[in-house]
Amino acid sequence: MSSLLVRTVIAYLIVFAVPLLLPVAFFKLVGLGGLRELVTYEARDTPLHNLDPRLKVLYPIAMGILSIILNWDFMLIVFGLSILPWFWLRPSRAKVRVLMVMVGGPALTGFWSQGLYYLPNPPIHFIYQFPWTISWLGSPGITAFGLVFGLEQTARVLVTVSTSMLILVSTDVGDFTWAFERFRMPPQVGFALTAALRFLPDMIGRTTLVLRAIELRGYDLSRPRWFQMTKWPDYVRRICQCVVLVTVPLLVGSLRGTTTMAMVADARGFGASKRRGSLRVHKLTAVDIGGYVVLVVLVGTAIVLNHFHIGARPY
Amino acid sequence: MDLAVAAGEVVLVTGLSGCGKSTLALALCGLIPSRVHGELRGRVSFDGRPLSGLPPHEASQLVGMVFQNPNLQLINHTVQAEVAFGPENLALPQPEIAARVEWCLDFTGMAGLRKASTVTLSGGQKQRTAIAATLAMRPRILVLDEPLSDLDPIGAQEVLGTLRRLAKDEGTGVVIIEHRVDEVAPWADRVVLMDGGRIVLDRPPRDAWADQARWARIGVGVPDMVRLAHALPEAFPGPLPLSVEEALGQVRETWLVPALAAAAAARARAQQGLARSGGGLGESTAATPVLAWDHITVDFDANRAVDDVTLSIAEGEWVAMIGANGSGKSTLTGLTVGLGTPSAGQVYFRGSPVRPGKVFEHAAQVALLLQAADEMLFEETVLRELSFGSRFRALPPDPVLDVPGAIDFFGFRGLEDTSPWELSQGGRQRLALAALLVGAPGVLVLDEPTTGQDAERMRSFLRLLEAVRARTGLTVLTVTHDIRGLASRAARIVVLGQGRVQLDGPAGAVFARTAELAQWGVLAPPVARLQAELLGPDVRDVLLSVADLAAAAVSFHGPVASAAVDASLTVSGGPARTARTP
Repeated sequence: MSSLLVRTVIAYLIVFAVPLLLPVAFFKLVGLGGLRELVTYEARDTPLHNLDPRLKVLYPIAMGILSIILNWDFMLIVFGLSILPWFWLRPSRAKVRVLMVMVGGPALTGFWSQGLYYLPNPPIHFIYQFPWTISWLGSPGITAFGLVFGLEQTARVLVTVSTSMLILVSTDVGDFTWAFERFRMPPQVGFALTAALRFLPDMIGRTTLVLRAIELRGYDLSRPRWFQMTKWPDYVRRICQCVVLVTVPLLVGSLRGTTTMAMVADARGFGASKRRGSLRVHKLTAVDIGGYVVLVVLVGTAIVLNHFHIGARPY
Repeated sequence: MDLAVAAGEVVLVTGLSGCGKSTLALALCGLIPSRVHGELRGRVSFDGRPLSGLPPHEASQLVGMVFQNPNLQLINHTVQAEVAFGPENLALPQPEIAARVEWCLDFTGMAGLRKASTVTLSGGQKQRTAIAATLAMRPRILVLDEPLSDLDPIGAQEVLGTLRRLAKDEGTGVVIIEHRVDEVAPWADRVVLMDGGRIVLDRPPRDAWADQARWARIGVGVPDMVRLAHALPEAFPGPLPLSVEEALGQVRETWLVPALAAAAAARARAQQGLARSGGGLGESTAATPVLAWDHITVDFDANRAVDDVTLSIAEGEWVAMIGANGSGKSTLTGLTVGLGTPSAGQVYFRGSPVRPGKVFEHAAQVALLLQAADEMLFEETVLRELSFGSRFRALPPDPVLDVPGAIDFFGFRGLEDTSPWELSQGGRQRLALAALLVGAPGVLVLDEPTTGQDAERMRSFLRLLEAVRARTGLTVLTVTHDIRGLASRAARIVVLGQGRVQLDGPAGAVFARTAELAQWGVLAPPVARLQAELLGPDVRDVLLSVADLAAAAVSFHGPVASAAVDASLTVSGGPARTARTP
């Protein structure tokens, strides 16, 4: 009996450790205000910053294609290639912390959940088999096969996320708009992206302000300690009620803001002409040309190899 | 209404909140009815060309508008991108865009910050970027809706200087809609006073303020130097002065200087005892501190916002904290309720440490009214808003102000079931304040409570605050740029600069240090600057209101002047020319 109890406790810890750790990591290491770091451009003068914006827009797309069509062995190389530029960029510590939690957290969840729920054909080799007291939840145990599969899938997603984040951090929004326009996309796409990235930090800031305001008005948003189990249901209830309360000031403020922004955009002639001019003049450099060549060669080679079933995904 | 603006002219449009100033601005720019719903009768035209029918991008190349909140009109990430946005939309050739951007950045003094992120700019820099971005459309008339509302006095002077050069050097007509008439008056060529959607006065500044009674009736502020000239007509033989500099030019050689010197000497003698008992400059009077900051340092990454501040506030005191934007005022006040974590030091409330992050806990002791009072309203009715706090925490058994008491005291009787959003802006601020006070706090902290308010609303807020203090004996700490109104009423002023306490003492003593204040980005009230300039650097104490100054000058001068001052003071600035010839 004691053996069953111990096994049950261990099994519950295995199942719930990651889902419980992630919110803690978010609040401790990032917080609502820290989300701003996720999408803010870091003005620097690195070679990465000075690359042709069009190349930077194409880079995550190309890496995404590679991550989809290649098998796991080749994926490791692609994954490594997607991580390397971060060392070149050297982002601030605050940004690294936020990125690690916000990108690493969901990745860890994917890896873990596949380990629990993705099962090979029998016979199944479990790293740890759950007793009947928890297996009724749907997972008979954690398997190495599932973990490896989860790792592969997570790495594929991480390639696209990591490269996109790299470009967001090192590219001014105006450069994005410029690149989109060179690709003959409607100016509205660039404007929407610019406005979203410009005002997202503001929105997060306002949400933080309203949450502060509601506490100042006497609403208790303090979190119980992890071991105060009886207080957690009340905390969840208060949070849910708070969402309803803060919606009104947030909505009113946002509507006022967007009205002004729309008038400003109109007054500055946005949409007055089908084409736009540009202050930027980007002359292709040797580095840009090298970058284009590398991307084309990588994607081209992957497609050709894929055609000959070399390095191709088996599923 | 009929209104004409000439090239190179600076027009100040003022009036009470809700009198139609912003609507006028939108109409001038051709945004009504194309972008703001409404019915426009009559015609708005530029050089005979109707503006109201033009698409906004065409109208904005004739009349450009800078909106009130620069945060909402900076769409792009960098200063340069923001300024280029308009010309790019017009599909101008690259050299033309570059030339316009260059000119606008140079003209507004933003060239050094061209690659800076718009998020990191100060209030004044944001406003100048918004002006540069509007100028890039090459408008012939520039309309600015309350461009100074979020700026400290030094930032405001920077913006006004830019606008004046624009008018003088480039011949651009400039229309400034503003409540802070004291600061704009010296720069304006014309003053337009609005009331109830109409223009009731449109004159050059000196003529505009010749009749103070009209301004008093409407409730709009008059520049201090104008009021002083009306109060002491024989000391101001020339035209009405609009600035301290103009006033100095007229009174330097008059009886006013020895009279003020005698009054200052008498005050100094009377205050010697007070200084010995710890009431002088630089000596904290907080014998029993209700709030104390003990060697507080706050760092935001590499930026030190507060640097080793030690400060205390005694029970029942009214303290104003002033300083330039970014001097650490809001950071320090936020710490009193647990907002933010000091890198070093400790904040205390009645001797108990304030724990960072425990806002709910400390908000019961310290009521913090945010500048954006609208963000503090969450309920559907006034009554529910006032009882909001009591639903979530227990109140003291015998509070100084309960919900029914607050309804009566703050004038909400009959409005209990009204939505807070149906109240005026002033009403919403009053409601947020009332709701905080129902929680029976020990200290009231007000963060820029009078920003963007007209003179009448500011006066009524100050009256309300005085009444609250009289009823509750509450300790009040205000963070403000409003030197002339709010700060001058406080018993004690704390000046912050570069994250440190630079001056701390009674308002009269602090505002006498005009040179030091300027160093920390603070402009003393005009009345204080006038006395400091006239009496020299040795002056230790200045009077802060026009009425006090006039009365002191008269009592140390003679009976003839006294009669004149009494006449003008009795009518609250009545018929000016009558007062000048007593």
